[in-house]
Amino acid sequence: MLDSLYIAWKYISFNKLKTTTLVACIALISFLPMALQLLLDESERQLMSRAAVTPLVIGAKGSSLDLVMNTLYFGDEVPELISMASVERVENMDLAMPIPLYVRFGTRGNPIVGTTPDYFEFRGLIVAAGRQMALLGDCVLGAKVAEILDLKPGDSLVSSPENLFDLAGIYPLKMKVAGVLAKSHTTDDLAVFVDIKTAWVIQGLGHGHQDVTRLKDPTLIYKSSESNVAATAKLYHYTEITKDNIDTFHFHGNLGQYPITAVIAVPYDEKSGTILRGRYLSKQETRQIVKPREVIDGLLQDIFRIKNVLDAVISVVALATALAIILVFALSLRLRQREIQTIFKLGCSRLTIVRLLLSEIFITVLISGVFCGAMIFTVNQYANEIVRMLFIR
Amino acid sequence: MVCWSVGVMERGKMGPKRQLWVLYIAIVLGILPCSSHAGAKVTGKLSVYVVNYPLKYFAERVGGEHVRVVFPGPADEDPADWVPDIKVIADYQKADLILLNGAGYARWVNRVSLPRSKMVNTSAKFKDQYIRTKGAVTHSHGSGGEHAHEDAAFTTWMDFNLAAKQARAIAVAYGRKRSTLKNTFEKKIIELEKDLFALDRNIKVLVSNNQSQPLIASHPVYDYFARRYGLNIKNVHWEPDQVLTDQLWMELQKILKTHAAKWMIWEGDPIQESIAKLKSVGINSLVFNPCANVPQKGDFLSVMQKNVKNLAVAFE
Repeated sequence: MLDSLYIAWKYISFNKLKTTTLVACIALISFLPMALQLLLDESERQLMSRAAVTPLVIGAKGSSLDLVMNTLYFGDEVPELISMASVERVENMDLAMPIPLYVRFGTRGNPIVGTTPDYFEFRGLIVAAGRQMALLGDCVLGAKVAEILDLKPGDSLVSSPENLFDLAGIYPLKMKVAGVLAKSHTTDDLAVFVDIKTAWVIQGLGHGHQDVTRLKDPTLIYKSSESNVAATAKLYHYTEITKDNIDTFHFHGNLGQYPITAVIAVPYDEKSGTILRGRYLSKQETRQIVKPREVIDGLLQDIFRIKNVLDAVISVVALATALAIILVFALSLRLRQREIQTIFKLGCSRLTIVRLLLSEIFITVLISGVFCGAMIFTVNQYANEIVRMLFIR
Repeated sequence: MVCWSVGVMERGKMGPKRQLWVLYIAIVLGILPCSSHAGAKVTGKLSVYVVNYPLKYFAERVGGEHVRVVFPGPADEDPADWVPDIKVIADYQKADLILLNGAGYARWVNRVSLPRSKMVNTSAKFKDQYIRTKGAVTHSHGSGGEHAHEDAAFTTWMDFNLAAKQARAIAVAYGRKRSTLKNTFEKKIIELEKDLFALDRNIKVLVSNNQSQPLIASHPVYDYFARRYGLNIKNVHWEPDQVLTDQLWMELQKILKTHAAKWMIWEGDPIQESIAKLKSVGINSLVFNPCANVPQKGDFLSVMQKNVKNLAVAFE
């Protein structure tokens, strides 16, 4: 048997081009459906595991998929904004615990998630190093963000401007890293968490500046009357919240009108959840309430429909490839008629010749299998990132 | 588990009745530690953090032995101006309930991260009754338009009717956290409401003699008190332990021209010098302690009862 394998190996290594083509065909045609299945399984796991533990999401009427993707996976597509009044509304109904989310800004390629400490308790996130965010301007990093950006508690991180061309826009905020979360193997590992009020400061809705009623520099005052002081654009707004200036930070107007992207509603029981959903059914309603599981189910069904089409295409291509391979072997046998006759005349039985040919096929398939395995292994290693890249971001 | 194995090992030597007893004891011994642990979680004391003393008093009266109420502020600082450090903020975050006064009291709350689900604004139900401070200077910068750092008066508990509503909000929050104790909390809140309504009634009767008489308050902390009981109060900004400056005295003189007050209400015992100086212009002093921080003697109710007695002199 070993002799047959040796001779087959020698033949294969001599006909490099033919072998390479065959190996590439077999490896690719086996790799494609397996990789597709792997990625789909991973996407289903990622999407479903998070959707299943998030009971209800409330947001502006519009694309429920955008709302869920932004709320659960901090996707780039920002849904239409709603106000904090939506949180108060859920609170007043006394049917669920509302957790506000404001996922709009970013820092060095990572989403900034404005929320309250309730979110950490809800998701079971634990601070592995440092402490929980406590003051305005504090941020807590997801495990992977800390790893990629090489940040630890005590370091600082600057928010990215929303629009590079908005030169007169808001100043980026320098945030203090208060803590780093333990790995959760979810999207939370890739986010930077701040208090919802800090997110409003990033947006410029909350700000800190000198007391305009006590300004001594006349160039800072544009107009002054008994009831109003108008400051000039020269008035410096703090871009970092420190112990010394934190008391100057303030929010104007009714906080209930401040923007958020969504509210995660955690009903106290099943009945409360059903009643809560019922409260958002009216046609005049400007908010929508969705079950993330249902939305993700719909998305997965779409993905699976596409997968079925891909499967059909791959099956046809696989059949064509298999036929081509058979043809290659058949033609190869014809071309090697003289070689086979010589082996026969040398005294080898027909069985030995069959064994030789089977050994060639075996080695070719084996090499293809190794290549395919290596590629599947690589895809498996990066499945999380690939899925995030393909389906989430 | 150990007892269970012992029971099984000795089964061969015992009669069926004895075996059953051993099995029963083993199960009881095995279950007891688990059940006591589970019970602690459900019936354990609620950890309640508050932002001032009146809330601490209400929270303790309503919760009784079922709660552990903490006000971590220092005794010598006004809780309205106190700012907790990070360690104390972490303690607030870990509490089961955080009781807030609302109306902008304890501004630090707006600059820290606290779990919203645990926060209870005890004055939320009467937000529309907040008293807005007058004369705030508006300012504008950038594209935000005009805005003012306007505040509401925050000593809401000085209106005992509102104080009762705040206490009721605490009872409701307790009931949500410990539904099995709802009736207990209800009994306690009724007792507390009774005391607060009695204070309310007493003051109403007391001031009815001469409701419109002009009064001066040493600090603007009596807005709700004045509104509830229809008092004619004007404020100055004096500290009881502060020596009066000429400027402060002139401000008073200016007020007195249109507001001929015979009494000044102080937050705490004023220094003799201030009493004498006021006396020289025919103004007497009385103390009505808002009791925002833990009193050195007595409790909220006894301090308020003493306040009522002090006030009675001005309306005799």
